[in-house]
Amino acid sequence: MKLPIQLSKESREPIYHQIENQLKALIAGEQLTAGTSLPSIRALSKDLEVSIITTRRAYQDLENQGFIRTLQGKGTFVAEIAAATKQQVKHDAVYQTMADAVDTALRYDYSPDQVEEIFHHLINTRKGE
Amino acid sequence: MLACAELSRVKKRIADFQLGPVDLTIEPGTITTLAGNNGSGKSTLLKLIMDLATSDSGHINILGTPADTNDESWKSNVAYLPQTSVGYNPYTGQDLKKIIAPLYPDWDDNLFADIVDNFHLPLHKKYGKLSPGVQQKLRLALTIPRNSPLMILDEPTSFLDIPSKQLLMDLLTDWMDQGERAIVIASHQAADMMKLADYLYVLQDGNHMGTFEKEELLQRYRKYWLASELPETRAPGEIARENQQIISNHPEQTESFFHEHHLTATFQTALELEEILTLLLQEQNVSRLP
Repeated sequence: MKLPIQLSKESREPIYHQIENQLKALIAGEQLTAGTSLPSIRALSKDLEVSIITTRRAYQDLENQGFIRTLQGKGTFVAEIAAATKQQVKHDAVYQTMADAVDTALRYDYSPDQVEEIFHHLINTRKGE
Repeated sequence: MLACAELSRVKKRIADFQLGPVDLTIEPGTITTLAGNNGSGKSTLLKLIMDLATSDSGHINILGTPADTNDESWKSNVAYLPQTSVGYNPYTGQDLKKIIAPLYPDWDDNLFADIVDNFHLPLHKKYGKLSPGVQQKLRLALTIPRNSPLMILDEPTSFLDIPSKQLLMDLLTDWMDQGERAIVIASHQAADMMKLADYLYVLQDGNHMGTFEKEELLQRYRKYWLASELPETRAPGEIARENQQIISNHPEQTESFFHEHHLTATFQTALELEEILTLLLQEQNVSRLP
């Protein structure tokens, strides 16, 4: 199975970290449910055109944090994770996305007030839908 | 764990071309691509590993056995695809399989049949009558099923069209997942085989320019587009500039320089591996000037 992971060349976030975070999001968002079999480190490395050193690091971190588990000779699977952990991943993702948006605006010399105005505008148009 | 191949201080002179000294260790579970310009010594290096050429100095060990030992039985543990195979023309694919398979104790007939199937290979036709692309596919079909711990491929994608290259990469990926194995690939078509590689061993005109883990190399270079004119002075880490664009091989230093000088990068990106290799070879040229 090919995982829907998109690596960014623009981001300064290390590649292993991008893989790790996107897999976490897929697991927390239940696109990948507990027990789903994941590609081998070699197969994922080929799909993403990265080295096994990078993929292995991402898998090891995810395993240490309990998102996936490896069964000797059987492969790697999505683990059962607590509702609180899922919530935390979603919370982190939303905060990060908003922080990035605010940073972009400040880089273009928008004032904090203007950023707030944009935010309210966006929220209001969505509430109106 | 025993290295699949270990080269230390290997040198070879051919007329006025000098290869090495080469230090290279191939660990099981890894794919290494030898990258370099034409005539950089990639094929010579592979021939030295296969004891088809004799090094002037240094040591080569294959799976713990010196490559220049009189007993050549270690060769049944290596699957080597040279750039061309001499003497195949009068034989059909079926004949060639019957000659080659018994030389390799772990030969996998099912895998051979699979590859033949996937590449649509006509086994009853004489090798000499096949197109270069089909010849290349047949040679791959006669190499991969040897299932030896070390596979050495010299320009494996020659004459292959895009779908066949894709199929080859899938085959090699599956092959790697079957055990503690390693692949060494020489390729001048950088983009192809670098995608598959864990490590890049870069050669230029016989000189070893470095061994890099792929993402380590990618993170070392960065391209920036600045909102304003570039400063007259060279930014730390800067290795190339054009219009409002700077390429750096020390992104942290370059970014703190931008910060100190109130410069804003409106866009930044990592480089493609091919771009990096080109720059790397240029940089070395510059630093070798007197």
